[in-house]
Amino acid sequence: MVEMLAYEFMQRSLLAAALVGAVCSVIGVFVVLRGLAFVGAGTAHAAFAGVAFAYLVGLPPLPLAVVFGLVTVWITGVMEEQGRMKLDVSIGILYTATMALAILFIGLMKGYNAEVYGYLFGSVLSVTPEELRAILLLSLIVMGVLLAFSKELYFIAFDQEMAEASGVPARRIFYLLLTLVALTVVVSLKTVGAILVFAMILIPASTAYQLTHSLSRMTAYAVTIGVASAVGGVLLSYVWDLPSGPAIVLLATTLFFLSVLLSPKRLRRVTVG
Amino acid sequence: MTKTIIRFAHATFGFPGVIALQDISLDIAEGEFVGVIGPNGSGKTTLCRAVLGLMEPMGGSLQIFDCACQELRCHHRARIGYLPQKGTLDRNFPITVLEAVMMGRYGALGLFRRPTGRDREIALDALNNVGMQDHRDSALGGLSGGQQQRVFIARALAQQPEVLLLDEPTTGIDITTQHSVVDLIRRLHQDLKLTILLITHDINMIRPHVDRLVLLKTRLYAAGPPDEVLRPDLLRQVYGKDLVITEKDLVIVEDYHHHR
Ligand SMILES: Nc1ncnc2c1ncn2[C@@H]1O[C@H](COP(=O)(O)OP(=O)(O)OP(=O)(O)O)[C@@H](O)[C@H]1O
Ligand SMILES: [Mg+2]
Repeated sequence: MVEMLAYEFMQRSLLAAALVGAVCSVIGVFVVLRGLAFVGAGTAHAAFAGVAFAYLVGLPPLPLAVVFGLVTVWITGVMEEQGRMKLDVSIGILYTATMALAILFIGLMKGYNAEVYGYLFGSVLSVTPEELRAILLLSLIVMGVLLAFSKELYFIAFDQEMAEASGVPARRIFYLLLTLVALTVVVSLKTVGAILVFAMILIPASTAYQLTHSLSRMTAYAVTIGVASAVGGVLLSYVWDLPSGPAIVLLATTLFFLSVLLSPKRLRRVTVG
Repeated sequence: MTKTIIRFAHATFGFPGVIALQDISLDIAEGEFVGVIGPNGSGKTTLCRAVLGLMEPMGGSLQIFDCACQELRCHHRARIGYLPQKGTLDRNFPITVLEAVMMGRYGALGLFRRPTGRDREIALDALNNVGMQDHRDSALGGLSGGQQQRVFIARALAQQPEVLLLDEPTTGIDITTQHSVVDLIRRLHQDLKLTILLITHDINMIRPHVDRLVLLKTRLYAAGPPDEVLRPDLLRQVYGKDLVITEKDLVIVEDYHHHR
């Protein structure tokens, strides 16, 4: 068990998993509280379409994933602001459209491209040193910005209109949040993959949501749970030779159901009625 | 001569296809306590949102602190405390009472500045003012509607505002608490010299306390001392022919046919 930590690839994947677990769960707190859960899923598919497009035309995948992700979240933001349609409907449309684009790009490629599928399902055990550096840089940026604007982000998550009315530049903060969601998705593509990143954003934050009545504590719990399931998942996947993405997500899901069973909120509802 | 702090000049506000407020001219002086009344859909909430600079005038102008409402910046808004009309609060939202009140400090603090011990003191003081200091670490979602309303009043106070906009602060609150909320608002007006705009349907409760009443129904029907505004003919015009009579200083909503 201990000797595996001596492998360099193992150290890299554990570090990558821990970073992704932390970033996803912190941004997840704001995503869950602001009711943007499906934005994460939509963005992940858009970013994957960007990766597929990059392989098709022979460009670097990460920058294109960022571009595709950003365009999609910003469109989502405009649609939510205009409020013409329910957000779940407009995201549902974007989400499937970007997936269709991704499948189209893959279909246009000559032959089978295993690397593209690596972005769909994630492969944390094969993270290269360059990829780790990119993950580290993007994680630091996202975490730094989240920290700098945390009080405004909490306020718009609680009540965006009230935040605007009391002198917080709420619209700009909202777009900042959307931008950070897109960057987080791209950070996580290589490790957990486009399909499962959504789970990494939602599950630790929702687990923490079950456990506390305090905003600041919710964030602390979410990060702990996110990092623990990411690192634990990588170890499990190494020991039992499992695919890493599903191992991480299923571990997080187990913690989520445990928290539902043990939730003090649930107890409150039972006792108070 | 007191200073005018809010000035509507032939101002019109609305939404696509709807005019909510039309040709409003009204000056509100610093330190004034103004009650706003009118039936549902008469534009009362719109009036608040306009003062906060959340809407652009479709005609005329609205000045707050000598600034056109469409140019109001964050630092202006931080000087206006706002209690929104009761919305729906997600009872499971993880936030404590003190955390919610501290949010009142965020606009005033501005970006990149963390709340300090001083901000916490201000927030605790505001909680004291509404009599909710014992609940500071409680889950906001676990409180009753009236208690939540007091917490939101405390949040508006934590802004240390110069102007207070209260949109139906006593709706859905029991009678004793209603009176303590009105007492609190009157105290704030007298002690802190706040300019207060209070929207309500409960005309009788605020009548003894306000300096002026404003009677709205898209247009401004009257603005003046309560006795001048609460005239049967005016009220009938606004609330409908059969429904309102005044009797011994009380406005009573009655079925007209009942008396015939
Ligand atoms: N977001 C909106 N979009 C479109 N029309 C709106 C919107 N908000 C209000 N209105 C319209 O503006 C008019 C005034 O509404 P407002 O909410 O200001 O009334 P109010 O006096 O506060 O009513 P109430 O006593 O029910 O709170 C109404 O005709 C309403 O239909
Ligand atoms: Mg209203």
